[in-house]
Amino acid sequence: MDTTVINRLGLPNLGLGVGLRSKHYSHLMQNDPVVDWFEIISENYMNNFGYGRHVLNHIASIRPIVMHGVSMSVGSTDPLNLDYLKQLKQLADFVNPVWISDHLCWTGVANINTHDLLPLPLTIESLHHVASRVNQIQDILQRPLILENPSTYLEFESSTLQEWEFLSELVNKTGCGLLLDVNNVFVSGFNHGFDPEFYIRNIPHQSVVQIHVAGPTDCDTYLLDTHDQPVPTQVWKLYQLAQELTGGVSTLLEWDANIPEYPELVAEVQKAKEVLKGHLPNVPVYRTSADAVSNPVNHQMQATHE
Amino acid sequence: MSELTTLQKWLTSIIVRPGMLDDKIRLADEHYQVKNDKVIRPSLRLSPAQKIEIYSKGYILRLLECMEAEYPALNKLLGQNLFHKFVKAYLVQLPPNSPDLYNLGEAFPAFLKASQPQTYNSDEGVLMYDLPVNLAMFERCIAEVSRIEGLESRAEEGAGNEMPYLFNTTTIYTSPCLKLLTLQFPLVDFIQHVYNDLEPEVPFKQDSFICICRKNYRVNFHELEVWQWHFLNALQNKTNYMAAVIDTANACKVATDTIMADLILWLPVAIGLGYVYLK
Ligand SMILES: [Fe+2]
Repeated sequence: MDTTVINRLGLPNLGLGVGLRSKHYSHLMQNDPVVDWFEIISENYMNNFGYGRHVLNHIASIRPIVMHGVSMSVGSTDPLNLDYLKQLKQLADFVNPVWISDHLCWTGVANINTHDLLPLPLTIESLHHVASRVNQIQDILQRPLILENPSTYLEFESSTLQEWEFLSELVNKTGCGLLLDVNNVFVSGFNHGFDPEFYIRNIPHQSVVQIHVAGPTDCDTYLLDTHDQPVPTQVWKLYQLAQELTGGVSTLLEWDANIPEYPELVAEVQKAKEVLKGHLPNVPVYRTSADAVSNPVNHQMQATHE
Repeated sequence: MSELTTLQKWLTSIIVRPGMLDDKIRLADEHYQVKNDKVIRPSLRLSPAQKIEIYSKGYILRLLECMEAEYPALNKLLGQNLFHKFVKAYLVQLPPNSPDLYNLGEAFPAFLKASQPQTYNSDEGVLMYDLPVNLAMFERCIAEVSRIEGLESRAEEGAGNEMPYLFNTTTIYTSPCLKLLTLQFPLVDFIQHVYNDLEPEVPFKQDSFICICRKNYRVNFHELEVWQWHFLNALQNKTNYMAAVIDTANACKVATDTIMADLILWLPVAIGLGYVYLK
């Protein structure tokens, strides 16, 4: 049975990819990258004329690149940061990415950037606000923006829409694409008590351009989006469902802390092939009582020495 | 203010403010006329305050990790507890306002300097107060040199292979990614030890003239002789080579001929390390 409509905004299925991280720079300058494509954290290369940009230049000459941002702050009530968008566009002119993505979130207000992905109340007010900003951003970037569902740890009482409804409406209003992070659906589903499968069944599948998989941390009373572990079985299961419903879209493994050596990273993302054949790896969710960090960003502070 | 704006200001103020969670929430509730238990949906496992805490705790831990990455030697010198105390105070005074994480630590050396007592005399005081500031300045410079525009794209075009002793001195310029520092402590060894995971020795006070540069994407840093430092500094600021030579001679109280003779020997080294280049 194949009832899926493949559209993806006309964007290609790039296959299996990983994030470009400074830990692997020297390996990648000397070895075949093996994976089909790379995702970069846009902010890490925007004002960077050092080794990172050199490696990026090399990788971009041999593999497709996607730009993934963390500071666009689409949901903030501050004015759009036009300087930021200008620099983002300049980087896009250099990298020629297949698409540009960021998150359905805000990172701060009153000029503060918390470097976190903060949740929005899912209201009609927020929807209008975000839709108008997405339209402006798309006009500036002259391409569709691809938005990712974040992991969230709180919900607002004022929310009248479910996140999948909010995203569907946003797609209708703006024509933006979706980056479906199935790990984030798993994390938020646990934290807020919704069924992750129901969420994935109810987003507009033809607008899903990319999928993220990652390993979260079980902090007992909540799940945290730590990107520092192998992908657990439950997340692979959601991945399998999402690929079935979308008809197959670009897949990216996120691993941002406790980053393994490159061959191990490649082996982890290649598990996706087995999953699509119906073989789910048996991996529990990592548990710890120690302080864990969500959305780790220190990997962006690349080492300047070897 | 729209409801969305109020909620965002309310939550941001709790996240970035120091203090006990319950106090921070109470103050924000009062200031923005918000009731946290009315705006945040409770669940069986967590109260609204516990949910907010996931964000406020994550904010600090995340940025501490970034500062540790930019200031590993300072972290080593102060020990993690004290280092974290300074970083937390820094983040309270100057909450991050840039999309770029490299701007996060930019004002940290100046913050450390400003946090010191106005006057102190003892050697112990110098070690306790000036050494961390010196180290922070050094590490910040390394971070900047690793990112700013350098000469690599020029080198890729095939330039830079000139025979150094045949040059015409009017074409000598300092690299755009050359940074010069004068410090009160010799810190090159300290930083190298930390980078190599070795136990560093705390240095004695002694003026130190430092040059930090990048060539072929590799950052290098060295202690220079005083005249070498003055020459590079003058060449960065003066219009030409001869003016820089005269400036150096004056600053070091030696004859210009001496400086010129020394330069003939040293310039090939300076070119090799990428401090200067021939246009
Ligand atoms: Fe993600």
